[in-house]
Amino acid sequence: MDIDLASIREVLKDNRLKLLARANVVATGIGYKITKKQKTSTLCIVCSVTKKLSASDLSKRDVLPPDINGIPIDVVETGLIRALVDRTKRIRPAPGGVSIGHRDITAGTLGCLVKKNGQTFILSNNHVLANSNEGVAGEYILQPGPYDGGNFPLDGIAKLHEFVPIVFSEVPGECGVARGVASLLSGAAKSVRSKSRFQAISILAEENLVDAAIALPFDEKDVSPEILEIGTIQDLIQGDLGMAIKKSGRTTAVTTGEILQVDVTVDVQYGAGQIARFVDQLMAGEMSAGGDSGSTVLDNNNNLTGLLFAGSDTTTIINRIENVFSALGLSL
Amino acid sequence: MSPSIQEVKEKHARRLLAMRGVVSVGIGRDPEGKSVIIVGLDSPYPKTLKKLPKELDGYPVRVETIGPVKAY
Repeated sequence: MDIDLASIREVLKDNRLKLLARANVVATGIGYKITKKQKTSTLCIVCSVTKKLSASDLSKRDVLPPDINGIPIDVVETGLIRALVDRTKRIRPAPGGVSIGHRDITAGTLGCLVKKNGQTFILSNNHVLANSNEGVAGEYILQPGPYDGGNFPLDGIAKLHEFVPIVFSEVPGECGVARGVASLLSGAAKSVRSKSRFQAISILAEENLVDAAIALPFDEKDVSPEILEIGTIQDLIQGDLGMAIKKSGRTTAVTTGEILQVDVTVDVQYGAGQIARFVDQLMAGEMSAGGDSGSTVLDNNNNLTGLLFAGSDTTTIINRIENVFSALGLSL
Repeated sequence: MSPSIQEVKEKHARRLLAMRGVVSVGIGRDPEGKSVIIVGLDSPYPKTLKKLPKELDGYPVRVETIGPVKAY
């Protein structure tokens, strides 16, 4: 039997509300029926559901009929449908993955919520929340960040609380050899014990492990433990070579990638001519852009593995989350 | 016992980073899954490319041009 579009429209119009009233149904429309994963030429009414359940798991009135007035019904699982959020706008409560920034910077990304001494803090980069060492505890953090129109003081969401200072190389770039020698001659080696790895990492005084800071929300109701379009963080996990990862950031939203290098020592440019050397970093491919700094990086099971802070045309550089948590004394 | 790739990388990283254009040194895998030391350059300077070793203490060295790395 050939069914024409006009008559399906009529039927759908009359039954739309009844269909949407059933548990799980989040959308109705008209499409080609899909049988055994293949698109057929049969037009049908498509009901999108959050989760496909068998009839026995549903109450009788929630079971979708196989057809209405002879027009077949196809059930497709789409999950929850949410409005696309503009990450550069003011959002309350603000989840991880949206624009944020110290009042004197452009904009970066709100990473996630963390705990310290029983209090809840926002985690992001030093260069996002503390303006690359320039910030002072108590200064305003805006959501969205200033570049995205965040207004001081109206869009203030938190106060800078604490940051790990970034140590910059004294002579940026121009004399690489002198820099190398200076590093070798420097006697003062810091030792940082990383809790989850039970292994002391020895770093030189002019090397960095993390670009990290925390801010105290004015009101806990203004922030959300969710990561936008990712969900809730399950646990911490140590990043390893080949691990599949994803992030949720202000500029490029949710992107996925893979840890391509570990134990990375890398020289990172900060604004005008300043360079800072980072050790024990993770490197992924191209999965971020300017403004994504501060994004949390998770594995496929939503375990937190890193804090994104830098990148090049082809790479993304990520602090190990165990180094971030131990440097600032944080927990989930 | 021969040193691990981590030890070898540690031993040479600062010297490699002092060469013109070298911005990163890390540990990765080649397409066959073998562990390699990967040197990242902001630009493919011919002199640096000529100077960079093909291997370090028995571990292969791969060179990639990744561009300048910026905090963003």
